[in-house]
Amino acid sequence: MIRYWPALLSVVLALGAIAGYVAFLRVPSVRNHPELYLVAFTLATAIAAVACWRAPRWPNFVAVALSAVLLALGGYFNFVLARVPATPTVLRVGEPAPDFTLPDATGAAVSLASFRDRAPVVLVFYRGYW
Amino acid sequence: MTELGDEGVQILAISPDSNERSQELARRLRARYRFLTDPDLAVTRRYGLLHANGGPQGQDVARPTTVVVDRRGVVRWLQLADSIQVRPDPADVARAVRQLGS
Repeated sequence: MIRYWPALLSVVLALGAIAGYVAFLRVPSVRNHPELYLVAFTLATAIAAVACWRAPRWPNFVAVALSAVLLALGGYFNFVLARVPATPTVLRVGEPAPDFTLPDATGAAVSLASFRDRAPVVLVFYRGYW
Repeated sequence: MTELGDEGVQILAISPDSNERSQELARRLRARYRFLTDPDLAVTRRYGLLHANGGPQGQDVARPTTVVVDRRGVVRWLQLADSIQVRPDPADVARAVRQLGS
């Protein structure tokens, strides 16, 4: 088993990157750097590929296949699925935010202008799932 | 920590979804927090934040965006998402609000 330590390291690195990312999803510095798991997958693939080249045996092939598949899936998710296209927003720092009136959870109408001179407002737009 | 004034800060979360980040921000700012529904995304569209067919089932959704608006109704801080994985750090938003003064 000892001679397969690079393959083991590769698998631990790749799976550890997933576990770490999921475990610390609520930590902004982890969540906002998804490229970290791609770096880990790339390193894992490289380590396993070198191991295959030095000793073409099945544990090394399993490690390279696993890490390469994770790298491909992770890259596809990060660079394709998770992308949000640029939108022609009317918002500009230093310019007024357009007023709106929308119902709250109880159905009461809330307008942005109603907070004028009363309170700063943080608007949070997010993807709803319905 | 500076005081945020008598009225504090109002967070308006637009689009129906429970959202831990916004609640974390509300806690950090000791802010009031309200969910607003934009059922046909009319306001989202008017703001230029519509991500057409961006939802899990191909629905239209909002481009995740956080906007700090001061008491005069002027945009003072803005973060538009380029990736659904990335969200503003509540600490950054809190700092932007504190820099408004009262």
